[in-house]
Amino acid sequence: MVREVSESCIDNLIRETIDSYCNRFYADKPDLAARKIEAIGYQVGHQLSERYTMDRPRFSDHLEAIKFICKDFWSELFKKQIDNLKTNHRGTFVLQDNKFRWLAHMSVDPSSAHNVNSADDNSSPSAENIAAQAMSMHLYFPCGIIRGALSNLGIPCAVSADISNLPACSFVIRIKA
Amino acid sequence: MIICVAVVGHQNNPLFIQSFTEADDALKLHHIVHCSLDVVDERVNNPKKSGSMINETFLGLLYPFENYKVYGYLTNTKVKFILVTTDLDVRDADVRNFFRRFHAAYVDAVSNPFHVPGKKITSKTFVERVSTIVKSFGLSSAG
Repeated sequence: MVREVSESCIDNLIRETIDSYCNRFYADKPDLAARKIEAIGYQVGHQLSERYTMDRPRFSDHLEAIKFICKDFWSELFKKQIDNLKTNHRGTFVLQDNKFRWLAHMSVDPSSAHNVNSADDNSSPSAENIAAQAMSMHLYFPCGIIRGALSNLGIPCAVSADISNLPACSFVIRIKA
Repeated sequence: MIICVAVVGHQNNPLFIQSFTEADDALKLHHIVHCSLDVVDERVNNPKKSGSMINETFLGLLYPFENYKVYGYLTNTKVKFILVTTDLDVRDADVRNFFRRFHAAYVDAVSNPFHVPGKKITSKTFVERVSTIVKSFGLSSAG
């Protein structure tokens, strides 16, 4: 049985969730809000990975699990695969999605569109910084999903996201030794 | 007849154990399940010995114990399912089918947002579903 989910509903739900966490529940603590959103993603990824790996043989190594994330897992979530996978063969993987669905309907003030790093962006709140931070908030959820899925597959890791040119988006996975 | 099914987490913590006998032998069944965990580890670490397909989730017959047979299944998420049965001639296909349905039930149970990962499964729906699956296993192997 194929179950379908309304894409616009999901879009709005995520946007509202992020808005509530950032501007209402933890209005003056963006770090805490980010952690909470990431935790929601973690749980989602954790549960989804259980379901999507059901009919598969077990993975023999990390690369196979990452490939599963890039192909099958991403197809289930976004109906497309990751466009580019890079690795240094020492536990760091970069997954690039050229048209990340959850960012497809967003745009950033052009003045601030240069190399926004979601992980550490704590400089003084100028206008472009605020825009960048709002953007990065939307990436904690998918980061959490990836981290949750991989942890459930027995791969503890840290995931961060990078949006250098929208709507392309890359996720950096660092596997903890 | 299936007399016991168990779900064991990735740190070998019991998540669910259910016996289907009238007798008061919970301790014995715990013991059987506990012993099987070592066999599961062995199968996973030395896949050549077991002869089964490498990295398959179904681990096959783990070991016979007195008049029981113990079967194992390991998911991608390192959760183990253990099945103890008294049937002596069990078809592999039946056991595979059982584990597939059991896995589906397990996935539905842990997808419950109120379920805490790594904690025991307390869902009544899951218990009911498991007993349905266990009952139908008896039928299919008899027929």
